Amino acid sequence: MISHNSILKRTLPMLMQCAEAHRKPRWLPVAKSKIFRIPKRPVISEEERIELLRINNNYKTQMRAIKRFYHEEMIKEKSTLESASSEMSQQLEAEEWERCVKINDTWNAQIAAEREERRKKELQEMEEFALARMEAKDKELRDRIAKASEEIREQKKLSSTFITPENLEEAIDKALANPVDYNFAIDLQGQQYLGRDTPIPTKEQKKAATNN
Amino acid sequence: MPLPPASGTGKYFARAAKSIRLIRQGCTNRPFFHISVTHRRRLNSQPVIEQLGSYDPMPNFNNEKLVALNLERMKFWLGQGAHVTTPVAELLGLSGFFPIHPRSYMTAWRNRRTERENLEKQKEAEAAATSKAE
Repeated sequence: MISHNSILKRTLPMLMQCAEAHRKPRWLPVAKSKIFRIPKRPVISEEERIELLRINNNYKTQMRAIKRFYHEEMIKEKSTLESASSEMSQQLEAEEWERCVKINDTWNAQIAAEREERRKKELQEMEEFALARMEAKDKELRDRIAKASEEIREQKKLSSTFITPENLEEAIDKALANPVDYNFAIDLQGQQYLGRDTPIPTKEQKKAATNN
Repeated sequence: MPLPPASGTGKYFARAAKSIRLIRQGCTNRPFFHISVTHRRRLNSQPVIEQLGSYDPMPNFNNEKLVALNLERMKFWLGQGAHVTTPVAELLGLSGFFPIHPRSYMTAWRNRRTERENLEKQKEAEAAATSKAE
């Protein structure tokens, strides 16, 4: 068991995590039910064995060659790295650097031109968009003003019939002279009988009216 | 404390034996492997030196098993004398970086043989069925 202190004071920032915890520990004996079990050996025919031996030998030879090739490559690379500090190689490197810088500059210039063009285009688009928006806003405002003025004109036309303190008495007199009753009764046929005091004919009266 | 990255810590002992192996990173019922270089005596749960690729053994929508390989680093570690485990060697063989692994050949011919046997069995069964009908 690792103590808490040792975890805190460790030099490497590493935490051990055991993912292989689902295996039986090595020190546990064979299970009782498996004591007399004899695992079946795989049967490989003689023909297959010889073929496998042959291709395995071939593979091993090829792999040895490949591994040696990469190892030698590594050694070669190391030696070239060590010899790279000579004057000749330094000059070569400087030339290479010059060339790279030149190419980089041309690329930068090209990209800068492209960027400028794109920026101009974007600005143009933005201006157009803003102008269109402003125009739309203006149009909306004008429409609203026109609508309001129309309303004002209508109200002015109506204002001649308004009741004012001057003609208040007159209007009252007129209203008293012409009383209007909006109440009405309705029968099953949908006939309206206007007014509160209108006499409603009975069935007999109706019949008499139709006979006459 | 955060866990060490699965892509590798870059820390290793120069003289210790290295191994390029598959390290299971998926979850239950969903295998996924990193192809990593690590010390040969380390457990798969321990931090690796460097990740060299990945392998998804479950066929995707187009019935492909995807493998990613960093061959530059693979060459470097082979130059350093790293060992390659069989599953990785098989993958590399199929990708054309190594010769085809003998086990690939073996599984292929065994699969072919079982298929042939199954076909023969089926034919026999059909023949027996027809003779019974007559």
